[in-house]
Amino acid sequence: MEDLVIKNAALDYFSGRATPLQKQAIEVWLRNPSNHELYYQWLHDWELRHLQAAAAWQGAFAKTRDRVNQNSREKASSSLPKKTVHWRYTYSRSMVAAVFLVALLGLSVYVTRENIFYKTSKAAYGETKQITLPDGSRVSLNANSSVRYPRFGFGQGTRQIELSGEADFEIERTPNRQQFIVSTATGLKITVLGTEFTVLARPRGSQVILRTGKVALQTTQIPENQPIVMSPGDIVAIGTDGKLSRSHTSRPEHYSSWKDHILTLDRTSLREITAILEDTYGFPIELQDPVLGNKTATGLLPVQNADTALELIADMFDISFTRQGDKVIFTD
Amino acid sequence: MSPLEQHPGPKTFPRSEELLQQDNKYAKVIDNEQIIRIAFEKSTSNGFEALFRLYYEALYSHALRFVYTKEKAEDIVCDVFHDFWKSNSFMSLQSTYRAYLYAAVRNRAYTYVRYELKEEKNLTGPESSGHLPTGNSPESLMEYDELHQRIDRAIHELPPQCQRVFLLSRFEGKKNKEIAASLDLSLKTVEAHMAKALSQLRKVIFGPIMR
Repeated sequence: MEDLVIKNAALDYFSGRATPLQKQAIEVWLRNPSNHELYYQWLHDWELRHLQAAAAWQGAFAKTRDRVNQNSREKASSSLPKKTVHWRYTYSRSMVAAVFLVALLGLSVYVTRENIFYKTSKAAYGETKQITLPDGSRVSLNANSSVRYPRFGFGQGTRQIELSGEADFEIERTPNRQQFIVSTATGLKITVLGTEFTVLARPRGSQVILRTGKVALQTTQIPENQPIVMSPGDIVAIGTDGKLSRSHTSRPEHYSSWKDHILTLDRTSLREITAILEDTYGFPIELQDPVLGNKTATGLLPVQNADTALELIADMFDISFTRQGDKVIFTD
Repeated sequence: MSPLEQHPGPKTFPRSEELLQQDNKYAKVIDNEQIIRIAFEKSTSNGFEALFRLYYEALYSHALRFVYTKEKAEDIVCDVFHDFWKSNSFMSLQSTYRAYLYAAVRNRAYTYVRYELKEEKNLTGPESSGHLPTGNSPESLMEYDELHQRIDRAIHELPPQCQRVFLLSRFEGKKNKEIAASLDLSLKTVEAHMAKALSQLRKVIFGPIMR
């Protein structure tokens, strides 16, 4: 229990809000060197929850790896015997050209590495897409969404895939029970063995809906050793403010009905519907009167394209819509 | 012993507590350090990829607290990773990767910011000694956190316009001329704001360590 007191004190302390007594307590606690690890762990937890700026690790990793590889190559070539002045003089032009070519080649490999080792599948606005992963698992991408995964199979470790947007997953179990991990830029991490679930990770919020099986869910907002365990029908939503909420549905399959071009509404507000349409088709939608946004509807709408979707929704809510440039406005 | 085993994880966050009352039997604890160790078993490159994926963003954010410059923070974190990779010390690490990386990044960021803000830079370079002890005593661990809090406070307490100029210059890496144009100020005023901000920072960084 003492750890809990210290942990809260430490988190206050990192934010500059600790009292002198709390500080004193941490100091005493740190006299035991075996507590230092925990201090760093909490510092890391705190830092993740208070990130100062976004950063992409992929670029930094590629850069550093190239630097490491380059250094070892330089070392190897510097041990070669020196060439004579005469030789260097005669061949300088072609050497310059060769160096230039090698540099160019290096640059192009650097630029395309992402494309060589990883494959990104993308569904554009207004379309959905089916993908079969190297392990036989199936991913359905909703509009304006993409996944990135290793082109040449997952290897022996965990199966990892990165998602942006919305996708439905049907994960195959592997004989050696390899974990399958979906991570998103919104800080979600979903760990599964074999199961079916839908993930939404858009700027307006994140949501995970589980159909069958079991998954463990981690976000940057909860302690990393306490994942949320979901059962079939569970919905966990994370708002843009990081707030978690959990609910249950008896029809989890409705949340992936977009796979069949069906929009499922269950007392869904017009405000939510416009957000979904914006994400799906990529044009901004406005409500002439914000009060309209509170109206709700229930039903299954077949939405083959943006036009039919707009017409059906206007029909349902008994409103009309107009276009202004690329913008759509719903009016009473 | 992994840090998770040391820390059985009391339910500290009320908002996730109700979510966790569910059966935790299946709850597969995913420990970063374990993931990294498994990745290193595969290959060094895999191991470092895992390290970057799990720690880069947080370390970068942490370095920013000291240096307040995007480019410099990136350089510092990448340099730490680079040296760690080249030294091969990742194969015989006694602590967790997390503890090693945080300690190294803090140390390097601190050394850099002292070197950079020194009024007369002598030629000894950034490795000249500073106030902070390099050992692992409790004071030095917390002194880094004291320091970034003091930097934060100092910047917070700058007059609004001065703060704006400072952040544009340091954080966004804008030139004084560009700042003058975008804020509709004279170049002299921008320079004066920067001088004031930097002198405040110097006070914080070279002043006596208050605890």
